[in-house]
Amino acid sequence: MAKLLEVSNLKTQFFTQDGIVHAVNGISYQVDQGETLAIVGESGSGKSVGVMSLIRLIPEPPGKIVDGQVMFDGQDLLKLSENELRSVRGNRIAMIFQDPMTSLNPVLTIGRQITEALELHLNMGREESRKRAIELLELVGIPGAASRLDDYPHQFSGGMRQRVMIAMGLSCDPQLLIADEPTTALDVTIQAQIVDLVERLKKELGMAIIWITHDLGVVAGMADRVIVMYSGFVVEEAAVDELYAQPRHPYTLGLLRSIPRLDLGRQKRLIPIDGLPPDLLDPPSHCPFAPRCVFNIEKCWQENPTLVTVGTDHKSACWVDISNVEIYDPSADQQNVEAL
Amino acid sequence: MTAYILRRLVQLPITVFGVTILIFLMLQVLSPAERAALYIKDIPKNEAQIDRVIKRYGLDKPIYVQYVNWLVGTVDQDTGDRVGGVLRADLGYSRTGREPVIDLLLRRLPATAELAIWSFVPILGIGIWLGIIAAINHNKLIDQIARVFSIVGYSFPTFVFGLLVLMLFYAKTGWFPPGRLSDWAVQVVSAPGFTQYTNLNSFDALLNGRFDVFLDALRHMFLPIITLSYLSWALLLRVTRSSMLETLGQDYIRTARAKGVAEKKVVNEHARPNALIPVATIGGLTVVGLLNGVVITETVFNYPGLGSAVAAAAVSLDVLTVLGFVLFNATLLISANLIVDVMYAFLDPRVRLR
Repeated sequence: MAKLLEVSNLKTQFFTQDGIVHAVNGISYQVDQGETLAIVGESGSGKSVGVMSLIRLIPEPPGKIVDGQVMFDGQDLLKLSENELRSVRGNRIAMIFQDPMTSLNPVLTIGRQITEALELHLNMGREESRKRAIELLELVGIPGAASRLDDYPHQFSGGMRQRVMIAMGLSCDPQLLIADEPTTALDVTIQAQIVDLVERLKKELGMAIIWITHDLGVVAGMADRVIVMYSGFVVEEAAVDELYAQPRHPYTLGLLRSIPRLDLGRQKRLIPIDGLPPDLLDPPSHCPFAPRCVFNIEKCWQENPTLVTVGTDHKSACWVDISNVEIYDPSADQQNVEAL
Repeated sequence: MTAYILRRLVQLPITVFGVTILIFLMLQVLSPAERAALYIKDIPKNEAQIDRVIKRYGLDKPIYVQYVNWLVGTVDQDTGDRVGGVLRADLGYSRTGREPVIDLLLRRLPATAELAIWSFVPILGIGIWLGIIAAINHNKLIDQIARVFSIVGYSFPTFVFGLLVLMLFYAKTGWFPPGRLSDWAVQVVSAPGFTQYTNLNSFDALLNGRFDVFLDALRHMFLPIITLSYLSWALLLRVTRSSMLETLGQDYIRTARAKGVAEKKVVNEHARPNALIPVATIGGLTVVGLLNGVVITETVFNYPGLGSAVAAAAVSLDVLTVLGFVLFNATLLISANLIVDVMYAFLDPRVRLR
């Protein structure tokens, strides 16, 4: 499929009083048209900063995109002027955010917040944009859409607000929708509804999606490809089935093993990843995961591995081929202790 | 919306009731003999007379009876007239003004009102505007200058600042004289051909088509206005700046930017309405606070308004005049609060629909 977005060597740093925070350290990936790419990682792994850098939403100062290229449909977004970039934002690349409770403006009506982008990018008039806003609210499943246009955000529940956010995002028929942990702040049942909604809309509208999450369960159901981020680096990239079947980075393996699974019964203990991610103010020169890694060898402490191809459409940044190493299983130890 | 305003209106008398109790309790620090002055104009010649007055007006009765008497007044047994009673606008007799307190207040009010009206616009306009400018240029030179300006204004005592500008702009240059009008203008204003519609000189001058008198009035008010404004600017600037900075960091501002909204519209349409919600409270209180500011400012500039009358009363221990002013001021403050609350409802839909 045709390439829509190609990110290469993107580096974003924050210049704070305590020093330079190395939030994103040269990440590269691409998104094809109509594809769903999931970006997975724990808090502070640089996944949000990474996608916000794409449309330069990083507050500057203190943030700064220090290097890289973001090719979107033949244009480098990092080289566009503010005005040119604004015609891309909300129009061809839309973004929805984590917390729907705070992401909508409390003093503007829902209708105004949706029509704003329509008037701005599609030059619609008042009546036309209101009609389109009603259609959009119906599309995302808000009951009585026409009568709710003049309501304020506080009159909606969290799940409904996220639907409004999605309607806003879809208003100008974007080619790429960036969803930054859109279900994290919602109840589990509502999460499922939102995931279903986005999947349905994707089928109907055919846009590409970058879905950021720390929930590997959500990823399995909807993504085509997955990127795993750690400490501002991409550590693994693979098609979704491949990643689950054959994880090649110890961190991915750790993430997968810490998901609770109903099918394995209660005997199997969850295995957490010990330790904490490195301090981004003072990133190590060796592999950032080495201190927490059960596979680590001497080389891990000398040099940071780069992303290399390890299989069909599968890349990993690790010195060890973990598919050939017997997995150390602390839960086995635990069972032994209990047996004694 | 209407229900909200009605509810606030119902609460109004309750608050006023609380204020009257407080002021009445303050009155209790006076001896009955001093409180007798509430009811009579001339000072009694001997103690027996004072006792008669106390008895006649029930100043030795239980405190709640006295409170009711103080509110609605008592009937003078000799003449059958009702005397006293703050609800009847009888606030007693002002020793320093040599007239009933209410007459003194009403006579001095126009001058102060004029000063307040002219200060109100620059205070809110410039204070809020500077705060927003400082916030959107956070940590840049203009923000630093605004902060220094604000800190200086905040820590400058009004009388020092007043005397300073008086020295500079009157004593040295003679540009802006103290007082309310020049002598020639006073003659114009009190001449029979000049109609005093409002008793506010500047407005009356315009209504009578005397532009020269209007300019003279403004010239006299200029320094008091600057003095009153500077302190309020400092406060409003700080509040607006921090409120705006906080708002600009909100998620919904990022949402607006992600939609492709131009930065100017982000500030004016998305951030400012939110940032002004807390400013409304301070703004409302600042305007009422002008009445406190005028006590010192009017004294420094020898401006014949409420403030200088109260200052004169206070230094001669004329308690009735001071308490009358307090009651008047409190009523004004409560009304201003009501206006602020209604403004809140306009600014914030979450309040409107509660």
